[in-house]
Amino acid sequence: MNLALLDVRRNVGRFFGTSLGVALLFTVVLAMAGIYQGLVDDATLLLDGMHADVWVVQQGTRGPFADASRLDPSVESRVATNPHVVSARSFTYQVLQRERAGRSLRFALVGVSWPDDHGERLPLIAGRAISQGHGELIADASLGLDVGTTFVLADEQFHVVGLTRQLLGSGGDAVVVATASDAQLIGDDLPPDAVRTERERRVQRLLATDLGNAQPALSDLLVDPQWRIPALARPPIAAVLVTVDDPSHIAAVKDIISTWPDVSAYSTDDEKRLLLDGVVEKPRKQLGLFSAILVITSSVLIAAVIYMMTMDKTHDIAVLKLMGAHWTRIAGMVLQQAWMMGIVGYALAVAIGSQAFPHFPRRVVLTEASVAAVGALVLAVSTIASVLGVVYALRVDPGKALEG
Amino acid sequence: MEALRAEHVSKSYGTGDILVRALDDVSLSLQKGAVVALLGPSGSGKSTLIKAIGLVSRPEVGRVWMDGKLVLDAGIPIANVGALRRKYLGFVFQKANLIPFLTASQNVEIACEIGGHADPRRRALELLDYLGVGHRASALPATLSGGEQQRVAIARALANSPTLLLADEPTAALDKDRGRSVMELFARIAHEQKAAVLVVTHDHRTLDAFDVTYEMEDGRIKSA
Repeated sequence: MNLALLDVRRNVGRFFGTSLGVALLFTVVLAMAGIYQGLVDDATLLLDGMHADVWVVQQGTRGPFADASRLDPSVESRVATNPHVVSARSFTYQVLQRERAGRSLRFALVGVSWPDDHGERLPLIAGRAISQGHGELIADASLGLDVGTTFVLADEQFHVVGLTRQLLGSGGDAVVVATASDAQLIGDDLPPDAVRTERERRVQRLLATDLGNAQPALSDLLVDPQWRIPALARPPIAAVLVTVDDPSHIAAVKDIISTWPDVSAYSTDDEKRLLLDGVVEKPRKQLGLFSAILVITSSVLIAAVIYMMTMDKTHDIAVLKLMGAHWTRIAGMVLQQAWMMGIVGYALAVAIGSQAFPHFPRRVVLTEASVAAVGALVLAVSTIASVLGVVYALRVDPGKALEG
Repeated sequence: MEALRAEHVSKSYGTGDILVRALDDVSLSLQKGAVVALLGPSGSGKSTLIKAIGLVSRPEVGRVWMDGKLVLDAGIPIANVGALRRKYLGFVFQKANLIPFLTASQNVEIACEIGGHADPRRRALELLDYLGVGHRASALPATLSGGEQQRVAIARALANSPTLLLADEPTAALDKDRGRSVMELFARIAHEQKAAVLVVTHDHRTLDAFDVTYEMEDGRIKSA
């Protein structure tokens, strides 16, 4: 006969009311685990989506996601000449926020190396890859743009030609893919006032030099919108993505490139580690601490409820002891009630979470492993929470049954 | 055949000037099949004696035999108290003390389970029938009358065929007729089950139902 179950049946309202409270706490614990997993997934989705074997970035940086990286575009051709390198592709990355149809759109703009890279390796769910060197975008569906939508950026019209699903930047922003030159055009776009300010700054810099003082007429050239300084380099890129002919050559290619004084080279796994250590580490700790507080709160709540339920049964426990009940039966009754509360709370939490999490603004990823881990945690918490009740029950004096 | 023999049982509470001798060298013997009353004013030591014999509290000194076996020596139980209670003792309280979330039959069944019966459910129903409350087997205690509750409690006490049934004022909460009915039931149980029944009572209306009457005063048995 299961005394725990029979007692719960008598107090079914109170039991489920309390379990619902516990469930809400566990829902938040599940959400924390899911948000963390979502952070990790989001952070690595784009990295994986670019299908590179080696990432070449600015020397000493951990770019382009964990750190800002600026490379001279010539690095692309330098890398391409190395043995075992099948392709070297330019890559730019910047997070932008633009208005469209009265709505603010925040996105990570990725520039791919046209014409070597059309974005065909991306997880397209609609439309096609980029087929022109200018004016086409692939956007993530979470931005709410459809295939064929026109998007004005940097005073130019861009057409959305393809859609991806769940292609997000390391910060969880939807990714928009363009050719590297379009990405630089969009990213470097300045409003007219900023352009005028920049021209004025150039004049001031010129006049601060001997050349400017000796030939003030040069300043006319600087403010002429048609004129470009010949010495200005092409805009920098963020990284060069390298594809190697065989995975066994990745380390060799990486080692060779790492000897160059102006770049650092990372394998995709290195890059992933840097990203997770840098971008995700603090949120992970933050979420972990929140989860710990919630788990402690759940334990205290379950412990208090189980303790009170046990106190309510003081007389019954005394009677059981007088009947000669073994201590394991009495302790088992209390422990099973704690487990039942934990399990019902956990089941409700999973049910609530599976309905609510898809509506969260950031991705909440519930993996089988994280759900199982929270389940194991719930069992442990319930067991620990029952200790007070068990100790109380075992200390009940059987003589209380004789006291009327 | 002796169901219970207690020799020189003593127990005190407090220390020094406020030392109270709750039991002072008490000895008694109960034969199987006997219904024995334990009378006395409040504070005379009746409940303390019941607790000592029932292995609920330990006396400082004294020896107790049940069914001819020594169970308490120098105030110390000679085996696991739970096992001794399961084997030799049944308790009936002033209030029925039924577990409120169990039905009448489950209240008896749990005692049978604890006692290790092979078919506790069947044993419980048999006992309820024996005590005339078989028709209330599936009722919760709250829906039973006082008399029915007390009969279920007695059935529970009989679950493991105890040698000694200890009853602490079992008729106090019942009216005269129901009280008498319970006492007659004890007499029947004692004779049919070959158990000794020791009843703590204040109810002089039912004294004629007892085979032996002990009267306690100041921790001693004054008369028998």
